[in-house]
Amino acid sequence: MTDILVSAFLLSLVLLGIHSYFGMEIIRRGIIFTDLAIGQMAALGAATALLFTGGKYAYIISLAFAIGSAGLTTFASRREKHLEAFIGLLYAFGVAGVFILLSKSPHGMEEFNELLASDILLVPIRKIIEVAVLYLGIGLFLGFIYRKFSGMVKDFFFFAAFAFTITSSVRLAGVFVVFALLVGPAFISLKFKKGFPLVNAWLIGIVINIISIGVSYRFDLPTGYTIVLFQAFAALVVSLVKKE
Amino acid sequence: MKRNAYFILIVLSVLVLYSFMEGAAKLEVVTSYKYIEDLVRQVGGDRVTVTALADGQNDPHTVMPKPSFIAKLSRADLFIINGGQLEIGWVPAVLKQANNPVIMPGNKGFLDLMAFIRPLEIPTSVSRAQGDVHPEGNPHFHLDPNNIPILANAIKEQLCKQDAVNRAVYQSNYESFARKWEEKLKGWNIVFFKLKGVRLVVYHKLFEYLFTHYHADVIGTIEPLPGIPPSSRHIAGLIEAIKSSNVRLIIQDGYHSAKTAEFLSNKTGVKWIILPHDIGSIKEVTDLILLFDEIARRLTGL
Repeated sequence: MTDILVSAFLLSLVLLGIHSYFGMEIIRRGIIFTDLAIGQMAALGAATALLFTGGKYAYIISLAFAIGSAGLTTFASRREKHLEAFIGLLYAFGVAGVFILLSKSPHGMEEFNELLASDILLVPIRKIIEVAVLYLGIGLFLGFIYRKFSGMVKDFFFFAAFAFTITSSVRLAGVFVVFALLVGPAFISLKFKKGFPLVNAWLIGIVINIISIGVSYRFDLPTGYTIVLFQAFAALVVSLVKKE
Repeated sequence: MKRNAYFILIVLSVLVLYSFMEGAAKLEVVTSYKYIEDLVRQVGGDRVTVTALADGQNDPHTVMPKPSFIAKLSRADLFIINGGQLEIGWVPAVLKQANNPVIMPGNKGFLDLMAFIRPLEIPTSVSRAQGDVHPEGNPHFHLDPNNIPILANAIKEQLCKQDAVNRAVYQSNYESFARKWEEKLKGWNIVFFKLKGVRLVVYHKLFEYLFTHYHADVIGTIEPLPGIPPSSRHIAGLIEAIKSSNVRLIIQDGYHSAKTAEFLSNKTGVKWIILPHDIGSIKEVTDLILLFDEIARRLTGL
């Protein structure tokens, strides 16, 4: 029976690996909702693809939208004092855009959702390996090449890599699982000053994921939302209990 | 004392073993929806175990997968779906993950009920320009009570094929169910025959088979295209249509927001009702007969 949950667990590990890094970075920069904004712009890309190409090239188009909005965010971060407001508006723009496009599209919400996100429980092992290789590549890029740049170019590379990652992971696990894994463990880890923050985030994330997946199996709850619930709950409790 | 303990242990293990053998002998059937579960229970009786994946309260088009879905499918001998792409948003991925070759489409433990029905509303164009319609036609055929015996028969044939030992049982269960159904249908028909020529507005074309069979006249849908929430101009148009063509009733399902139906009703004075679409969609409906009892009750007095 446990083999049902192995792939969900592996995927959560792969996601945790790279998202913890991004999570700490966006918390430090104070732009937490960039993730939701970029995810939503990727969705707008998918809706555009549905309307104009009947769903062909959906991945490429949504990736282009995501990287485009990453570019916009980079640009705004240089000149906009209230960056969070910009990001929030970008998100609202994406949400409204999706609904307006879909109201004119010959395809319904159902097909759109299908295109947008699968459930963490249902991702085949092959897809997990693919995305693991992809994230390893992005991780190596961030670890070695990215440091050599500076200024706006460096910022753009950061947001582009982030957009690329978010677009891929949202398609596999859904926007809320991605958000929870991005922010939850990183947030807890930054509260503690001991050791390496990234390693701490990984450990915290893994433990909470194991608990969530176990609970989801035991009580037959939707696996993705159980992970979101526990990651968010743990971060909220730590935040309320532990002073900075 | 020790001998007694051994004795009890042996008896217990024989009992456990026996119950396992008993369990193994039973055909394990999994269905996508509750109404199919009830049909299997009626025909299979105590010779099968049956369980449905989705519960009846939610939108049948979008079901959130849970770990138990995969567990159930991985040990099933027979998987029965509604078909007509109603499950396309959730079953294929679950089936793939369960990785049970017996119940894969095309294999002997897989049954698609849509294959036994003459479908309504097959789109003429392949571009699907009419919205999120199902290219194989409207998949909500189980909501016409005249289709139920056809489905029961298909399930009976399948059970006989997979479990020939119990053929006679399935045959007699089916016959008694079909008789009971025919009897109930007489009562429902008294209500449903009155649908003839009655003009209706519906949220989604969920009861198309019922209304087509009994010649009700559906003049519009609250959703402009299947799966898309209503826009303001569409609602304005509907209000006009309801007023000018003497609509008698607005039909709402239990899983979409009834806000628009209520709004239309306030604007036009036409009554709106919710019709249950599956077992468990409302508390009182616990089997197929009660489902149609309730539908008939709510349509009484048109």
